[in-house]
Amino acid sequence: MEEKRDDRFPTENVKLLVEGTISWEDAKKAMRLRPKDKDRFWKYLEVLQQRVPWKDKILLRISDHLYIVAKPDAKRVVKCDCGHEFGDYRVNWKLSCRIRVRRTVEEMTEVFGIEEATLDPSLVELREYYCPGCLAQLATEAVPVGYPPIVEMLPDLDTFYREWLGKPLPDERPDWFQNRTLEAPARWMEEG
Amino acid sequence: MGICYQGKTLKEAVAEKEGIFKETGYAYGLKEIKLVESDPAKFMRFQMRLVASCIGAREMAKLISANPMSLIQGELLFLLATPEGDCVSASYGLAGHVQAFPFMIQAIAKLGFEEDPGITAGDVFFNNDALYGAPHNADCYNFVPIFYKDELIGWTVGLNHIVDVGGLQPGGLGTISPSVFTDGFTVPPTKIGANFKTHKWWDLHWKRRTRTEVFNILDDKMRTAGSVALHNRVLEVVEEFGVDYFRQGIKEIIERERRVLIERIKTMAVPGMYNYLHMNMVNYKGIVGKLFAASNRDWFMHQPAEMHILPDGRIHADLEGLTSEDEFHCNGYESALRMLTSLGCWPMFAYTQTLNTALQYMTSWNIPPGSLFNPQNPFAGTVMSLMQVGKYIWMYQNCLSLSFFSRGYLEECFPQDPAGVGYGLAGVMKDGFRWAGGDMTLITCWASGATPFKDGDPASVCSPNPAADQGEAELAEFLQPTNLNIGRTLIPNYCGHGKFRGGLGTGICQMIMEPGQSLIAAVMGATSGQGRCALGMSGGYPGLSDVVYFAHDTNIRDILKEGKPYPTHFVEIGQWLKDGRLKAGSVEVFRGSSPNVPLKDGDLMACASGARMGWGDPIERRYGLAEKDVHYGWITPQAAKSIYGVLTDNKGQVKVAESDALRADIRKVRKEKSLDAKDWWKQEREKVLAKDFSENVRSMYTDCLKWPKFRREFMGMWQLPEDYKV
Repeated sequence: MEEKRDDRFPTENVKLLVEGTISWEDAKKAMRLRPKDKDRFWKYLEVLQQRVPWKDKILLRISDHLYIVAKPDAKRVVKCDCGHEFGDYRVNWKLSCRIRVRRTVEEMTEVFGIEEATLDPSLVELREYYCPGCLAQLATEAVPVGYPPIVEMLPDLDTFYREWLGKPLPDERPDWFQNRTLEAPARWMEEG
Repeated sequence: MGICYQGKTLKEAVAEKEGIFKETGYAYGLKEIKLVESDPAKFMRFQMRLVASCIGAREMAKLISANPMSLIQGELLFLLATPEGDCVSASYGLAGHVQAFPFMIQAIAKLGFEEDPGITAGDVFFNNDALYGAPHNADCYNFVPIFYKDELIGWTVGLNHIVDVGGLQPGGLGTISPSVFTDGFTVPPTKIGANFKTHKWWDLHWKRRTRTEVFNILDDKMRTAGSVALHNRVLEVVEEFGVDYFRQGIKEIIERERRVLIERIKTMAVPGMYNYLHMNMVNYKGIVGKLFAASNRDWFMHQPAEMHILPDGRIHADLEGLTSEDEFHCNGYESALRMLTSLGCWPMFAYTQTLNTALQYMTSWNIPPGSLFNPQNPFAGTVMSLMQVGKYIWMYQNCLSLSFFSRGYLEECFPQDPAGVGYGLAGVMKDGFRWAGGDMTLITCWASGATPFKDGDPASVCSPNPAADQGEAELAEFLQPTNLNIGRTLIPNYCGHGKFRGGLGTGICQMIMEPGQSLIAAVMGATSGQGRCALGMSGGYPGLSDVVYFAHDTNIRDILKEGKPYPTHFVEIGQWLKDGRLKAGSVEVFRGSSPNVPLKDGDLMACASGARMGWGDPIERRYGLAEKDVHYGWITPQAAKSIYGVLTDNKGQVKVAESDALRADIRKVRKEKSLDAKDWWKQEREKVLAKDFSENVRSMYTDCLKWPKFRREFMGMWQLPEDYKV
């Protein structure tokens, strides 16, 4: 994929980094790379693509389990490594999750471990967002009731691929970098 | 004829610096950095001479101080700045302050200091007023102009965090102050000395307006002595390299490092929009409000950020939706915001050759007027602005961690969440001696949060000070003999949980001994029941709250007399109280700051902080790691079971088949107890329509919904009628 391979931090080490099994010494080697290996992103994609059981092309990894992938029908969707798809990446994927809300000290202490150091339920609730496919916990939020689910990240993919990586995506469009999260509740409202 | 190069006035030089950057996009308009490019080795030698001068000044000067925060915990900094105020190099220590100093020079230029009181060789200036660039009044700056012949060629600066600011509460981290008039000793830019010495009258101010005159006078002398020493060293460098080289070189440092920062972002990040949120409580109602009517309320602070990594590599943060300014202690100004938040940049991408102000040329903020960090009331209280501005340190760290993660640089991810407990003490000893003190043990050294590939480490980092150091309990006890440390330890289960967990937070436990006529403690904590951070990372949980625990009238002296074991942190105090091993007349527990609390002999004061966030789904934690946790007592078997889905036998070994089954059960429970997003949305919408909010949440929404951007998002998310009001 890349013109010249930078082997100072080889793909095998990227794999260990992704798995979380890299030794501290090798991790420090990565930290000390000056300059950084500029082909890291391509090595990373290669490792990630090998780890998932599906063929859609990964454009970007956005959390432990989630990826923005290119679909054959010119769509860019969020997809879990289990294969579950969350739809258009411009809509907050949290609105396609299963959501559990912990509202009492008892429920929160279950996952915080120490009652005195947990949350005050009169201020915030603890939301857990699960993948509907594999039930992995994808995100947590400690926010007041009624707080809109937070869009953690909306990448500007076309700028990234064209200007920063020098390899434009074939389906570039000016409207890709738009937050369309509010389309989901508007649709739900219409559906009733 | 002005004092700057080519006869420009300071005001003209500052205006030119700002104008030329806007016009060209280069710091000081330097499209070319000729000295760097023509002889990089010479330039490096020049730059390192300046850094060494700053470090030398620090190491010499700190020995003048008696304040443990300076002497041991590293809460000080010495720096060299351009005539316009940009920091060029600095010692180690309170690194963020390099960002605040330009605001002070901007201020004295605008105030016309060049004409009156005049800026001449040997002058010593002071500022700790937030309106003029100091982050808050505990951070005191002494600065000395450097003249070469008749030309101002730079400034040397010494600053540190003092023990007591003479405010309503003892210490320098007050959490009660409705205005600048209750903040304590606040001095706008002032000429406090000439001929490289401070005036005698200046000592009287420390003596009469603060509680800790000896510490503060010595700190002041330390700052001046260090600034003067640095001044002299810099002039030697000027002689060695020539003034033309120096004048051009210090500007090229800024421009070169601006380019490095931009390049680093473009190499490691992904452009786009990222969000961050922090919230916390400020409680005044019925406490402060009894005396100050305008402050008779509580505030649930809303601190959102929409952070953009722009196509050109710059970073812009939009704070629209931020809580409004008010009559409390935690308003702040842009200088404080830039100062403290830069500490989120150093570990992520701004680790360049020197500490410098280059960040100001590649980061920008939208801070709406009338909001918390852009107060329109010039008398706004700012004694603990750092409590609020500091929350945005982690905007940089967490948003950039996600960005670096996406790009594949997992080793550069360093997400953290807010932490820190510090206390002030004031008392009268048996013989009538009035004294005051404070401690920052739990501010100057924390655990780190988890990363995508490893657990965080205990007692390893301090976000406000890159040189983390908890200090020495013995020295603290020497200076504060009323507070005997009977515990200083890592607390089991006290971390943010996840596939990788945060390092264990630290707890201290102190027994109050013979306080004499009176003793009060005022404790500042970074959390307040809302958790450390609103967002966990990748399915991990945010860190656990700070805890401040008082047990009054205990039988601890009897326990100690009998030579029995005793509780060493707040969790143990709670357990011992429950099972009757410890007795207490009353107990007060805060998930963050406390008001002024009177203490008596035999009381216990236990504080804990630094328990920071996890990364990833906890039930994906590797069994080997979980086993180690249980083996070393870092995680209790009960917590391993309920949080991590790990069962261990009585030797602490993981029962693999049973744990697999337990994790499968946890997934089933997740399915049972969760709702499809649309059903959840319907439920939550009903609550929003019914305004089913607690009083604090309601007042937070009332305030924030006046900002168009937040209103648009809130109304759109819940599809509310246009006339919806909270």
